Amino acid sequence: MAIDEHLETFAGKTMYDWNVESGIQNPATSIPRIALSWEQSEAKQTWLDHFKAFLTGRRVADSSQKFTAFLEDVQASEITGLVVGSWQFYSGEEDSSQPVVEALVAAREKLPYLTALFLGDILSEENEISWIIQSDVSPLFQAFPNLQIFGVRGAQDLKFSALNHENLKTLIVESGGLAAQTVCEILGADLPELEHLELWLGTDEYGGDTTVADLQALLAGDLFPNLKTLGLRNSIIVDELAAALAGAPVVERLQTLDLSLGILTDAGAQSLLQSDRVRRLKKLDLHHHFCSAEIVSQLENLDIEVDASDPQVAEDYDGATYRYVAVSE
Amino acid sequence: MSPSASNFVTHNFVVVGNPESRRIALFQDALARMHLPAACVVSYLDLLQNRVALPDVVRRGDIVRLESPGQNWEVEKALLHLGAREDESEDWLSAREVEKLQFERGRIWPSRQWFCGLKNLLQKLEYQLAQCAPHRATHNAREIALMFDKPLCHAALCESGVAVPRSLGSPRCFEELAARMREHGCGRVFIKLAHGAGASGIVAYRTYGRRHQATTTVEMIRNSGVLFLYNSRRVRVYDDLKTIAELIDALCRQSVHVEEWLPKIAVGGKVCDARVVVIAGRAQHAVLRLSQTPMTNLHLLNARGDITMLQAKLPPRSWDAGMQSCESAMRLFPKSLCGGVDILWTPDGRRHAILEVNAWGDFLPGALHENRDSYEAQIAALQENL
Repeated sequence: MAIDEHLETFAGKTMYDWNVESGIQNPATSIPRIALSWEQSEAKQTWLDHFKAFLTGRRVADSSQKFTAFLEDVQASEITGLVVGSWQFYSGEEDSSQPVVEALVAAREKLPYLTALFLGDILSEENEISWIIQSDVSPLFQAFPNLQIFGVRGAQDLKFSALNHENLKTLIVESGGLAAQTVCEILGADLPELEHLELWLGTDEYGGDTTVADLQALLAGDLFPNLKTLGLRNSIIVDELAAALAGAPVVERLQTLDLSLGILTDAGAQSLLQSDRVRRLKKLDLHHHFCSAEIVSQLENLDIEVDASDPQVAEDYDGATYRYVAVSE
Repeated sequence: MSPSASNFVTHNFVVVGNPESRRIALFQDALARMHLPAACVVSYLDLLQNRVALPDVVRRGDIVRLESPGQNWEVEKALLHLGAREDESEDWLSAREVEKLQFERGRIWPSRQWFCGLKNLLQKLEYQLAQCAPHRATHNAREIALMFDKPLCHAALCESGVAVPRSLGSPRCFEELAARMREHGCGRVFIKLAHGAGASGIVAYRTYGRRHQATTTVEMIRNSGVLFLYNSRRVRVYDDLKTIAELIDALCRQSVHVEEWLPKIAVGGKVCDARVVVIAGRAQHAVLRLSQTPMTNLHLLNARGDITMLQAKLPPRSWDAGMQSCESAMRLFPKSLCGGVDILWTPDGRRHAILEVNAWGDFLPGALHENRDSYEAQIAALQENL
């Protein structure tokens, strides 16, 4: 399976695709997605051209355009959220997000109210999640001190080289395989206000080599004093995670534990069922799992909100059993 | 019975097809529902083996409908036989080799040879129809041949200004394909057999830096060092360059048509495109083809979705613009009453492209437009035009 639809909402607001015709919509209720379109790619424009046009509210001159038209847009400077979509249109070349990050950083004074940013709302039809090449995103945190929500899709070459932020509340890393090195950087960050941490660990086939041991400091409850929601999603090691989380101090502080999209089986679910800490959560999200109907009904009988929907069936080929996470290639 | 229907009774249908085909059964059902006499069915096999000739069957005022010759092994074998060549190339079978062939489920037979056979049959039909009493035909041999020739059909669509994905032509091997992709700055392509029907021999290939991925329904089976290709219902993903090159080389030997792989819009978590039946110049039946893989062709067990889901997701006027393109595409085939046009929209729904025009793309059991199935709609269009 794969991600086939763009974000419809982000940071509680409605998404729309920004282009010169649409202009900027009401920043109080909506967030623009800046993505390179097919037409632009054919006209040899780049994502950076598109972003520049967005910032200035100005049409980019191209071969079909003899003059530039000024639009009476709401100013880009009023926006509070931004989603970066595809920055390359399958040219076959490897294009990392680095120029995009640099352009965003350079535009910091033009986006003074930015509180929510998503980097890489890219569909599998546009580029596979494990083929998206990211870069060091730390400069974004320095450039946007008011940022509260940051999400990123694709973990290849993703770095958080120096992640310290006074106001960040939500950090989401969606991937088909998250490297232990990247996890280590995230867990080393100083994020006193962080309430929601979501890591898609993925599979070792796509670089996801994170183990339970790599998450030890997080599980011990030593990090992120305000953490309320922990998502360790889309993971092949979810059974081991469940066993470790059952007795982990961090769960005491959580309201929501999200182990969805992974390959949870009865073994992992049993650990959760037996944990007093888990029973004191507000919500347990396990959707997309490989548990039996009997275990699902036990989970649903817990006194907390449980999402155990979307049960999966393992596939058998040549005597081996295969279970797949929800989002890979 | 309405006056036009009673008038219409004097016109009988002659359907050329494979008599056991469900397509013919559905067409006969449509005639019956419209209180019209059953069509006279002429079998392709009888025509191919000269047991019958159309001038002996078609009477003054009849309407002649050509159906798909597909899904019948004897007919397929006869077409391969018609297209046989006596050269040494391993990609063409000689007449004698064809005679010895046994049915194998899914086996991809030499598609260029099959197409030569089809063209030969179509010429024969055209010649016989020219000898028949005055009649009307709902299909035209030359137009069918053009629809089945993917490179020519794409070029014709492109020339007439219909929105289509960029073509990368017909490379002769994987290496040439890779060079063309670099040249065009295009990292994602669909490789289709130049003359294949349906989803036969289709590969969705993409590359990004060092990475390669081919998604396909083609199964590669090696037997004593020889590679055989089969269409299967299971979608396979190959990411090793050697296997991908071998697969694409094998397809290229049969002749391929390569197009840029455009991203498709998704509804309800699945990517989709649409099959639109254009009848008498008007886009009518539309079926949503949903998939979790790049292959959306209906007979790969993909879900058929509710077309209104897509219509609701598209920006204003985008659907209508797409339907106009489907109709424009069919204007290239003025002598064909009907064609099935495949169309995709990009994820933002702002642009569409025509993927294919199918001569026999009207087989959509259960799909209704204005309460008629695609067969009733064709019969009604003929009635209106009398």
